[in-house]
Amino acid sequence: MNRLLPIIMGLVISVFIQFKTNAQTPWDEIMMGRGEICAALIYEHSSWNQYWEGTYLRENANIGTFTRQMGMPMLAMGLTNKINIIASLPYVSTEASGGTQVGQSGLQDLSISAKVDWLQKQVGKGRLLFLTNTHFSKPVGNYLSDYMPFSIGFGAPELGLRGIGGYKMDNGLVFRAALAYLWRGQTEIERNYYYQNGSIYSQFMNVPDAWNFHGAIGYWAFDNRLRVEATYMSLNCLNGDDIRSYNRPQPTNKTEVSQVGAWVQYYINADRGLGGLFYFNQTLSGRNMGKATTIGLGLTYQFKVY
Amino acid sequence: MKNLKINYIVIFLLILSASSCIEETPNFYEFEGYQFEKLDENGGTWKTILLSNPTQISIPQPMPTNSAEYQAELMGLKQQMSGLSVAQKAAVRYWTNNPVLRWNEIALELAAKYNLIPGPNADGNYTLPNPANPAGPPPFPFAHPPYTSRMLAYLSVAQFDALVVAWHYKYEYNRAAPYQVDNGIVQAYAPSQLPSYPSDGATIAIVSKEILVTMFPLEAIYLENKYKEHIASLVHAGINVPSDIAAGTIIGIEVVKLANQRASTDGMSKAQTPKAVSDSITNAAFTRFGWKWQNTETPQRPVGLTPLFGNVKMWNVPTVEEVRPGPPPSPGSIEFERDVQELKRFASHMTLNQRRIANWWEDGLGSYTPPGHWNKFAKESIVKHKLNPLRSARVFAYMNTAIMDAGVACWDTKYYYHYPRPVETISGFKTILGTPNFPAYTSGHSTFSSAGAEVLAYFFPADATQFRIWAEEAAVSRIYGGIHYRFDAEVGSEQGKNVGTYAVNRAKGDGAQ
Repeated sequence: MNRLLPIIMGLVISVFIQFKTNAQTPWDEIMMGRGEICAALIYEHSSWNQYWEGTYLRENANIGTFTRQMGMPMLAMGLTNKINIIASLPYVSTEASGGTQVGQSGLQDLSISAKVDWLQKQVGKGRLLFLTNTHFSKPVGNYLSDYMPFSIGFGAPELGLRGIGGYKMDNGLVFRAALAYLWRGQTEIERNYYYQNGSIYSQFMNVPDAWNFHGAIGYWAFDNRLRVEATYMSLNCLNGDDIRSYNRPQPTNKTEVSQVGAWVQYYINADRGLGGLFYFNQTLSGRNMGKATTIGLGLTYQFKVY
Repeated sequence: MKNLKINYIVIFLLILSASSCIEETPNFYEFEGYQFEKLDENGGTWKTILLSNPTQISIPQPMPTNSAEYQAELMGLKQQMSGLSVAQKAAVRYWTNNPVLRWNEIALELAAKYNLIPGPNADGNYTLPNPANPAGPPPFPFAHPPYTSRMLAYLSVAQFDALVVAWHYKYEYNRAAPYQVDNGIVQAYAPSQLPSYPSDGATIAIVSKEILVTMFPLEAIYLENKYKEHIASLVHAGINVPSDIAAGTIIGIEVVKLANQRASTDGMSKAQTPKAVSDSITNAAFTRFGWKWQNTETPQRPVGLTPLFGNVKMWNVPTVEEVRPGPPPSPGSIEFERDVQELKRFASHMTLNQRRIANWWEDGLGSYTPPGHWNKFAKESIVKHKLNPLRSARVFAYMNTAIMDAGVACWDTKYYYHYPRPVETISGFKTILGTPNFPAYTSGHSTFSSAGAEVLAYFFPADATQFRIWAEEAAVSRIYGGIHYRFDAEVGSEQGKNVGTYAVNRAKGDGAQ
């Protein structure tokens, strides 16, 4: 759930920047040119009515169907042809159809990402690519992370370092794989005792670090105006505890998820102006999180400032 | 290459800034071992709670320190102390010279571990934890606040009585500690003139282990390991020889028998009633007052939490009726509507401070419960004032009997008046805290907390104001959380204070001052 946010954000980033050859995501092979700016607004709707308590998939009538909505402005720019910067700040709102507890809403985490292009080399009928992406995110509002599953985020800073390898063929096919290590810090909670496989006397919870993998097969069509991608994503925390029996989750949980998705993006003009996007994700397997189905819609506007 | 360098510098700075502010997440209270502010040489004359008299339990007369037997024990101790492993040294540091505090922490940890409400089965029914089949599912116990309050009361009372007996014999026999007999022994803790026979540590260890195994039967192996580590640490710390430990153990075993005897007949086994009994309690309230509380979960729980905990035998209050407050304002009355308006106002304009207070005192499922929270305060005050184990046990015993009595009184009130929760009386009302499975009036948090605060205020008068402020904050936290009306909290606070006063009056006459 909350652990998904950086991923969702990342996916969203990818969605709206993946226009033409000068748009990009934190895990793809594409760089925007110097002085290019892309502004975007994304709406996302995600819901689940089953969740994994540890590895046990269950329902809970006191949650019923859990819904999370997100609105997110984003800005991406080409600092130079080799360094791109991306920033985003989502507003998230959660609610449950069952039970008597209120949802949570508010500004979530500000994320800033820098991508560097290291290698582009023609090999056979395509180009071989290697890039890195470094991101840092931090909560900006006062949302309480220790209010799961309603919390809109895990409430801790995150630093991610990602390597991206790809092969882009001259006929429009793209194969890509990206692997990131995510360092998570601590989240401050509003109690100074909690249980995590034993007593913890602290007002801070350690959010576990994670590996994050992305894979995609993409295709450009209609003179590079339409992009279609089939994606796979997984996230695996290195440690953490499981949700206890019929108990609520907490930011210390070991979360795992794998999901498949599809992206459709259309760029109205050739390489400037308005674009639109749609995406869909389905969770396949998980641990300590909801089995979510997600759809996203976005509008993008791209222009050059220098 | 320039880009690469910038990238690495940025990463380095980010890691540095992130790692520089990592807070500790300790598993127990880390405090410096301390010298006891006094030894309470007359502690053996203090009034006990379960026992009628310390001499009810007898232990063998100890061998003198110049006897061959004792010298052999001393030799063994020195031998062990000369070859301690890292783990053994860590155990000595962990247990300290006031192990009452550690066993209290272990009790709180088990409370948090077992404070999980059983979920529904696939068919929508609920299975209750069963002491006859502790493994379950669901496992026994569900360490909810009434269960935990009672568990802590028996633990603390048994520790206290056993230590009074230990003190009685310590000063009857006055056998010097190993480090006093032999200058070559450097004890691990602060210097102390406390006689070592019988061992107070061994007394605490056996009492605590046995009571906690009764309360948490699935933890027998875990507790046995803790017990063994503790007993070994007494020798490794240079404060007890085996005969000290054996004598302390005799006392502990006898006191545990008395505690278990009381526990088996105090009415707790009948507290969680069958549905028919629960329904008749509900109907009695409805007939009397015209309102009733109902569980609001899906699927609905057929019986509230321990409807007859109000019948459980109290420690310091002769009859529960004398601490039962008058009725709450009826739904729809002016007083009721005023407090409902307040709840709606808090829900729609919750400040950060109100939210923090609601969460700080939540002590809900999965936590050590409100009684646990007050035990933590007691522990910190004990360390701050450098109390010896006997005096520490006294604080816990009076506080935890007061807190359990408060729970009994509160539960009697809850099921006598059977008052509905805000989510039942306010249409569409949603809360930031989970609504518990028992009636609203009076608030358990308020009652537990003000009882605990009254006792702590008596034992630590310099901090009395602080304890009472905390109790008031705990009470109001439930209003911010949306699960109690102000009258639940205010009357609960009065009730808890009233109950706490019974414990304080008893403590005033126990001979310790």
